[in-house]
Amino acid sequence: MDAALKAHLDRRQALLDQVRALIVKQTGRRLAPADIDPDAPLFVSGLGLDSVDTVELIIALESELGLPLPSDTEAVPALRTVNTIVDAVLARPGGTDRAA
Amino acid sequence: MPLEGGMAALRQSVALSELDHVSRVRVAGPAAFDLVNRVTPLELYARDGQMLHTVLLEPSAQVLADAYVCRDDEAYLLLSEGPAAPALLDWLRSHVQAGEQVTLEDLGPSHEMFSLSGPYAWELMATWLGTGILGLPYMGFARGDGWTCFRAGKAGEYGYDLLVPRERAPALRAKVRELGREFGLADLDLPSLEQAMLESFAFNIRREGRAGATPLELQLQWRISYQKDSLAAAALRERRTQGPRERLTFVRSPERFAAGDAVTSGEERIGTAVNAGWSELLGAWLGTAMIGVAFAHPGVDRYQVGGRPLQTITPPALLNRSLVVNPQRHSYRTRDKDTFPPLVPGR
Repeated sequence: MDAALKAHLDRRQALLDQVRALIVKQTGRRLAPADIDPDAPLFVSGLGLDSVDTVELIIALESELGLPLPSDTEAVPALRTVNTIVDAVLARPGGTDRAA
Repeated sequence: MPLEGGMAALRQSVALSELDHVSRVRVAGPAAFDLVNRVTPLELYARDGQMLHTVLLEPSAQVLADAYVCRDDEAYLLLSEGPAAPALLDWLRSHVQAGEQVTLEDLGPSHEMFSLSGPYAWELMATWLGTGILGLPYMGFARGDGWTCFRAGKAGEYGYDLLVPRERAPALRAKVRELGREFGLADLDLPSLEQAMLESFAFNIRREGRAGATPLELQLQWRISYQKDSLAAAALRERRTQGPRERLTFVRSPERFAAGDAVTSGEERIGTAVNAGWSELLGAWLGTAMIGVAFAHPGVDRYQVGGRPLQTITPPALLNRSLVVNPQRHSYRTRDKDTFPPLVPGR
């Protein structure tokens, strides 16, 4: 594995771990962070987060990962899964790294 | 390329799909809860009229079926994809314990199933069955005059699955088709429905289910509980302790590839494609692949599948219109006056 690919994968794994831990902490779910699959739906049918969880999560994402508060139209796709959140964090100014 | 036929209806109006591939079994009797609870790896907390989306597992934790478990008063309806009804019944019978009184009924001979799915499926349903149907929550079901309606769906759109007695099915279907003319209704066959499921990264027991994997590799942990003592509990906990070696990953390629093709990074084999299909919406081949967890992240465009270029991407592949169509503000009749984000972000 070359250095650029390794850096990309390491960066994504670190963010994945951070976002999962944040979700567990903010929502109080009785889960280990690794129990949250990266592409599983977070709301309704998946992890079952509700509107209160959403507010808590959005605030935590801004304070801990610097993800700006999304508009209504941005929030729907950005908060669908852990990986969509990781994408949003990487896409923010200074988020760096894309397509190893 | 613009979408056509059933796929256009699914993504932009309403599509009608036959659900012959769904086994429907009613479990009743004093031990109904005990049996269903034993074979369901998710906590069986369901009120009357509520559905749970789960998987049925072998003791090894390999996925046997993709199932909705529906609480029907003191009985349960299982709507299951995977084994055909006779095999599912045999499997259920094998888990009935001595002395338990339980009745297993295959509803297939007596009932048909079809679904209405799409961003305006709710409006056709309200026109057909009355606006009360709009109050049916996701993962809920209700009965009416000759129909049972399940609010579900696997294509990322508003979805209503209908269970109807066979003798009434032709008339009900004809009524839906008649009303559906005003809503751009079109038929969606099973291969197209499966392609739509792939675009939404929905688990397909006939594709990803063949990988012989457990919920941990398939990203289906949200459909199980590690706290519950079900059939596969020991295997699930052991796998959880070890951690999965592979993870189902969403991929795309400009070139055709197929299930079974090797996924490589340079000279190293890192996984195997398990599903693939052409997406008219994306203008690309989409698929899923079991990839070693260290490599199973989106945003990599240097892997290969069967020697062809492969990119790992974050699912779903589209922004379903059903996420932005609001029954309180929108209507199929006035859709041209509404502004919606593109189905494929960035286009």
